[in-house]
Amino acid sequence: MNAILTVENLFKQFPIAGSKQVVQAINDVSFSIQPGETLGLVGESGSGKTTVGRCIIGLLEPSAGTIHFHGKLISDRRGSRRGLAGKIQFVFQEPAESLDPRMKIGQSISEPLLPMKLDRTTRERKTLEAIRLVRLDPDLLDDYPSELSAGQQQRVGIARAMVTQPELVVLDEPTSALDPTARAEIIDLLQRIQAERNTAYLFISHDLSTVRFISHRVAVMYLGMIVEQGDAADVFNRPHHPYASGLLSSVLLPHPHLKIESSVSLKGEIPSPINLPKGCFLASRCPFVIDRCRTEMPPMSIVGDGHFVYCFRHEDVAASVPASDTFNVFMREAERILGRRTSTGLPIQIHSN
Amino acid sequence: MAETSAAPLIAIMDLHVDFPGANESKEVLKGVSLTVQPGEILGLVGESGAGKTTLARSILGVPPTSGRIAAGKVIFEDRNILDLPEPELRKLRGSRLSIVVPNPRAELNPTMTVGKQIAAMARIHLGVDRAEATRLALAILRDVHIPDPRRRMNAYPHELSGGMAQRVVIAMALICDPAFIISDDATSGLDVTVQAQILSLLGGLAADHGSAMLFITRDIGIAAHFCDRVAVMYSGEIMELASRENLFLRPAHPYTLMLLAAFSHSPKLRDAWSVPETGVRQTQKEGCSYSSRCPIAQPVCSERRPPFVEIRPGHFARCHFPVSHE
Repeated sequence: MNAILTVENLFKQFPIAGSKQVVQAINDVSFSIQPGETLGLVGESGSGKTTVGRCIIGLLEPSAGTIHFHGKLISDRRGSRRGLAGKIQFVFQEPAESLDPRMKIGQSISEPLLPMKLDRTTRERKTLEAIRLVRLDPDLLDDYPSELSAGQQQRVGIARAMVTQPELVVLDEPTSALDPTARAEIIDLLQRIQAERNTAYLFISHDLSTVRFISHRVAVMYLGMIVEQGDAADVFNRPHHPYASGLLSSVLLPHPHLKIESSVSLKGEIPSPINLPKGCFLASRCPFVIDRCRTEMPPMSIVGDGHFVYCFRHEDVAASVPASDTFNVFMREAERILGRRTSTGLPIQIHSN
Repeated sequence: MAETSAAPLIAIMDLHVDFPGANESKEVLKGVSLTVQPGEILGLVGESGAGKTTLARSILGVPPTSGRIAAGKVIFEDRNILDLPEPELRKLRGSRLSIVVPNPRAELNPTMTVGKQIAAMARIHLGVDRAEATRLALAILRDVHIPDPRRRMNAYPHELSGGMAQRVVIAMALICDPAFIISDDATSGLDVTVQAQILSLLGGLAADHGSAMLFITRDIGIAAHFCDRVAVMYSGEIMELASRENLFLRPAHPYTLMLLAAFSHSPKLRDAWSVPETGVRQTQKEGCSYSSRCPIAQPVCSERRPPFVEIRPGHFARCHFPVSHE
């Protein structure tokens, strides 16, 4: 397997002004992304998801560790990103705030092409391709962001990321600010683009149900650490880390009878990343805690093909509730409930395959 | 309309709110009627722009700026809130009626400690002295599960996390033991684990204090697990109202089906329940306001406004052709 992106032992600390203390935002994070793959990065606010994304796109410099893109080190100093020319792109959460209000849509979309030293006709052609790719009317190229709906603005954000034909796109909560219908359309769009162009995504989100459907693999972050990582179905159906299990159990599926079972109900909030505890970071909130957890950081355990977890008691956690594919049960239920006829007998075309 | 036999705690009757414009006024609430029973949690779902927040604020007699309550009544404790003079209304708000809004930091005074702000509510509305108000504030902070409440009393809002600030706002809404609480998207923007804690907190308080709640949310997953009944709002109208079981397992209005399909992660289902976006947002003057977006609309739908029909006991839909599940 040839990963396009490899992140190894990444650390990021932020100094606190007027103090010798530091915020430990990322603590020893490692993962890789294959071409055409979506890695979902989940966790609560403050878990370090966004910081990881920002290190990858070069907005932040890691304190330690390496990031390789196609085997080339891109994290050591600014100059090392030269030549990447739009190969790694990004989409942010707030579509309105990430577009310059005084720039026309066409200018915003073509802006990432400027450093590529293309002639004007090529730039215009690529801009037109990009707006068509996200299924927006090319007439909108002369409009300003304020004239568009939030869903359309986010499509522009995606068009701008895709205009350089990137191999990897870092998507930081791209759908959280959107209404359900707009959110569903953006997810479709991202999946379609991936199928067409084999683009890899790092999908950062706290919307676990979207992550379940869009990701091939997921990594669960807690206090700057990836505590569990594996195939999306494996991690969601049978979490081995108490935090992953607790996080999943707080997902509310829109079906009154379907709930993801867990023996962990997370109380309190994520602790401060300033004075990190000595042992496992979850020890203070974990119902599975044993003495050892408070003094010693659990090592990595391999629990399946490409499925890693950092927990002394991962076997007990996994065995505490029966494995279940609640998300797929929900999808089948949705097909049953929504695949109905009306009282007039008008057929609704829904075929299950 | 008689939804349930028991006397409701609050009855919103045919509420019309419009926003006067240069040429014509825009009707944002087109005759909304809802009742909430004591101890009940009524969910209100719909997309942004449906009029959910306008409804929430109009119930309290304060429609958003430039909005005007054109007609309707809100009957609470045998009085029409909308007829009350402002000083009376002011006494009611915050004590008997409370609202929790999103973005807690914007609601809190950044220059005042959390404890003082919460205690101020008790002093104003309950008329208690400073010591008693402080005691009540500390008790309510405990009730909303703020860790180390004694220390947090002296904290300023910027020292709190988002989840903690939201709990402080909830504490302020609850300190006077209101009979009716409106939660306007109060858990959006919180992490799922914090959201779960806040929901169980609100549910517990509703059960313990017998308070009723109007729970407005864009997240229909919350409505499916947390609300007793659910109302679906579209373009200023209630399109469907049912128990959460019926609404999620036997949805009848095509708009409800479209919303559910948006959460189903199935493009097939979404295609079945939506029509391709034309880009032009039509304002439907006659007929059903959803007809231009409805995949099963018939000619009659753009001609005649559908009535709000009881299709099974307690289950209402505003549709000429409700979806059948029999």
